[in-house]
Amino acid sequence: MAACGILFLADFVSAQIYLPKPAPAPSEYGKVILDNYAGAEPGAVVFDHWLHRSKFTCRVCHVDVGFAMEAKATGIKASTNREGFHCGACHDGKRVFEGKTVFAACSDAAHDQQCDRCHSLGKKGVRKYEYKEYTAKFPKGIYGVNWEVAERSGVIKPIDFIEGLSVKKAPMKSREDFTVQANYSWVHPIEFSHEKHSIWNGCELCHPEIFPTAKKGTVSYSMFSNIEGRYCGACHGKVAFPLNNCQGCHAKAPSWVP
Amino acid sequence: MVNPTFFKGKFFTARLVTTTVSTTIIAALLFLGLAGLCAVPAIGEPSASAAQADTTQESWRTEFDNVCAKTEDAMTFSQEELMDLIRRCDTLQPRIEKLDESRKKVFLERLRKCRGLYAYVLDAKTKEKN
Repeated sequence: MAACGILFLADFVSAQIYLPKPAPAPSEYGKVILDNYAGAEPGAVVFDHWLHRSKFTCRVCHVDVGFAMEAKATGIKASTNREGFHCGACHDGKRVFEGKTVFAACSDAAHDQQCDRCHSLGKKGVRKYEYKEYTAKFPKGIYGVNWEVAERSGVIKPIDFIEGLSVKKAPMKSREDFTVQANYSWVHPIEFSHEKHSIWNGCELCHPEIFPTAKKGTVSYSMFSNIEGRYCGACHGKVAFPLNNCQGCHAKAPSWVP
Repeated sequence: MVNPTFFKGKFFTARLVTTTVSTTIIAALLFLGLAGLCAVPAIGEPSASAAQADTTQESWRTEFDNVCAKTEDAMTFSQEELMDLIRRCDTLQPRIEKLDESRKKVFLERLRKCRGLYAYVLDAKTKEKN
């Protein structure tokens, strides 16, 4: 009888404790594997968010270039890359970035073929950049690179405009940061930096798709929905700092190293 | 009566050759002239179409840039202005749908995001008023 009671209680507790999964190593975090052809040559593409986010804003890739936020929704093909879209928007063999010509993605020209730079799944020593070396001088936080500090200190200068693709806009007017009260009194409020989010993401990346309403109180945000990949969880827990990095949002929360 | 031996004369032969050459040249010139006249619209037409296509292509892009350049100021627009921007997005959509596959894919998605934001802000402003 007592054993049954304990089992029941254990079940109940496990259902209630719905914590975010521990994040992988920062070098693996936000890694995207694109395997449209089930491993066929030249192999699956490994895309590291950490490398690209050090050079570009989220907005320029996910709005201007048109990379979807969900897996397999973009429809990247070698042909679209060659036509100057998707990866080819920058990787065209012509653009000069930080004094170097960006290699052409999926180039037909034999001398320009560098397939393994991207099609690198399971291939050792073919990647040009490794996380540890690349981010060695970047400021670190509780979890990997602190990108906000990195930008503020000028270590990184993410680009928000791609010639020929981006729309010329006036500089963004400052968005007011605000505080979101937590659903429970024992949880510290969220200090939400609307300014930082709008500069990195633009408005249309979050509204209305991720945050569908502007009226306060109409949507009940919770950690459960975040863990399921909705609202804040659309980015946090996948690419932006992990959800178990509590202080990232609940600024006054006690430090908890995941 | 014409003397039949006259026809056999060298003079006549020379005249006949000259006349034949002249006729051929005139015929050739006439043919070339006619061909030239016919070719003018034939050559001109594709150029006009290409120019037209270029202008159309440029115009959809210019309109796209104009409409979607305002997303970050969406909150500052009146409901009428927002409705006008949404209408312009809707007018632009069928023009983008006619583009080649890759361009269509990228720009339709961008237009959807841009229109979505204006609709979102309009909705927020309408709710705020009511």
